[in-house]
Amino acid sequence: MKVLIVEDEKVMASEMEAFLKKTFYLCDLAYTAKQGLEKMEENQYDFILLDLGLPDKDGLLLLQEAKKNCPDAACIILSARGQLEDRIKGLDLGADDYLPKPFSLLELQSRMQAVARRKFGLADSIVVLGDFRVDLNKRLVLYADEVEIALSRKEFDLLSYLLLHKNRPLTRMQLSEHIWGNFSDDDYDSNYIDVHIKNIRKKLSAYSSVEWLHTVRSVGYKVKI
Amino acid sequence: MKLFTKLTLFITLSKLAIVILFVWLLPFLVNRVAYQYNDYYLNEQKKKAMDVIRQNGIEAYLQGEPSYGSYTMLKEEYISLEPAGRVVVPDTIATLRRVVEADTLTYRVLSHTFYYNNNRYILEVGKTTATIGQYNQPLQRVALYVLIGLIVSTIVIDLIFTRLLLRPLGVIIRNRLLNTRFPFRETMRPVQTSTTDFRYLDDSLTELMGKVREAFEKEREFTSNASHELMTPISILQSKMENLMMEETLPEVLQKRVMDMMKTLNRLKKIIHSLLLISRIENDQFPKADSFPLRSLLQEVVDELGHRLQEQRLHFDLRLSGNMVLHGLNHDLIFQLIYNLLNNAIRYNKPAGSIIVHDQLIPGKPYRLLIKDTGIGIPENEIDSIFNRFKKVEKKENDGYGLGLCIVRTIAQYHGIKIEVASSVGVGTLFTLIFPEGMAAASPDEEASLPEGDHILDAYNGFSKF
Repeated sequence: MKVLIVEDEKVMASEMEAFLKKTFYLCDLAYTAKQGLEKMEENQYDFILLDLGLPDKDGLLLLQEAKKNCPDAACIILSARGQLEDRIKGLDLGADDYLPKPFSLLELQSRMQAVARRKFGLADSIVVLGDFRVDLNKRLVLYADEVEIALSRKEFDLLSYLLLHKNRPLTRMQLSEHIWGNFSDDDYDSNYIDVHIKNIRKKLSAYSSVEWLHTVRSVGYKVKI
Repeated sequence: MKLFTKLTLFITLSKLAIVILFVWLLPFLVNRVAYQYNDYYLNEQKKKAMDVIRQNGIEAYLQGEPSYGSYTMLKEEYISLEPAGRVVVPDTIATLRRVVEADTLTYRVLSHTFYYNNNRYILEVGKTTATIGQYNQPLQRVALYVLIGLIVSTIVIDLIFTRLLLRPLGVIIRNRLLNTRFPFRETMRPVQTSTTDFRYLDDSLTELMGKVREAFEKEREFTSNASHELMTPISILQSKMENLMMEETLPEVLQKRVMDMMKTLNRLKKIIHSLLLISRIENDQFPKADSFPLRSLLQEVVDELGHRLQEQRLHFDLRLSGNMVLHGLNHDLIFQLIYNLLNNAIRYNKPAGSIIVHDQLIPGKPYRLLIKDTGIGIPENEIDSIFNRFKKVEKKENDGYGLGLCIVRTIAQYHGIKIEVASSVGVGTLFTLIFPEGMAAASPDEEASLPEGDHILDAYNGFSKF
């Protein structure tokens, strides 16, 4: 998949590039609206990640041109403005998602995945996990293709997030930020994630081994496939 | 009291005082005038008598008799001429009693002593006191009527004129103070008035409101800029750490270090988020147009916090009377408010303690929602400051950064909700939310369908079975 990152902070852009490269995205970088527009005219992209605060042009205007030049691309707005009006305006202008800064790169990838599934109808929504199969679209966990295991909404969110970022250690904080979002909650040092993981383990291990779900000591968790 | 009412009262009372004073003084004044005029009249009569004596000689009166006396038919007036003694008495006017044909009457008497042909005579001109004051009563009455008529008409004129004069003030109060809403975005038209004081007041108010608007816009701009400027470097740091975390060659010890750094960064992020949230609420940037049942909002909060209740083994009890629907507020903010209060109730609770949420719906009184915990409590001298920024109630292991209750207060103020806190150390804390009139209303149609028991509690208990 080809991604165009339009972001005026060069360091930020290169960090995003580094992260996405590891998950096999091909990235082009543009630091100004002008550069972004040139790239859009030359290439076709699957994703355009657009920072709204560009030095030479309002990102929302660039979004409109992006829609013209790359009609098939999924646009995700990245903005530090974080105001409700900006969000609504962006989505009205055809953006597929909106991620307020500062965001986690894991969250970015998760959103991109979700947009890809929704927009491009990717078929690989079923992931094999030991003796289990997880259907990300239907939000189901199946054992031996027939037994459906009931996970709560948050437990499923947690599992699919770990699955998406498989083979990487995710900290409790990253996980709780994904599950509980960004609203002003000051219990960042919580171990409530452990409760959920314990529940997932308990529910699944009734059927088969869950040794793919690793605890990374004093950090968090990891799904190893 | 309004200025116009005050002026009306003052004008009416002051005129009333004048009327009373006048009524009280009137008999005395009229009497005095009557006597003075009478004295003047007696003097005139005396002059006439003396003129006759000078022209026609004293014999014209005496006609050989030693003395002369004459009176009118009803004895109201008399004139007498008698020889006088040796002593020279100056002219006097006095009220004296005189016997006229066996009747003793009180007269106002002018006595005048004069020489005629080397003989001394005394002339007396008198008038009964009864006739002097005969017009006093009708005069007083007429004067009173005229006065009352004048006073009433001046009061009416005064009030009409005052009303006209004060009209621009009313317009200023209405247009500038009552009907404007912060942050005064409407364009202001100057009030029509020729009174310079009002002109000055209106101009000053308009200028002041302009300044407030300007300051407000500046703060808005600052909030937006600060959010951008601070969030971008945090974003970069976070991305760098996340990428570092994913390095497969990173030793476990360093993973832990990076995680600690991420935690600190996260803390910074949340502080900025909270400050921006407070600033945005204070800047009036949240619409207040949502309506929702209180019960479902509490359900949402408990859904979010269920795992914490479970972990602390807290007993959660929710008793709501009927199905209250809240109107005219911001759902997300009220969610945050309840969330922060419940979160505190959990965090500062003791293990296996309890949290009770109930309400009071008393007709004629504002609706109240009470959140009670069995936590560590707040010392009395700290209760007043718990809502201040960065104020911590008591150090605890995983303490917050002290903005939770500040956000609660800001949201409550924004919606006009009053908060009362009662606490005793070691026993627990009770937060009471008092909703303003009209914000909370019972929804009768859904009330019947909900059983008295509690589905939130059920949901939570179901959760804890996992």
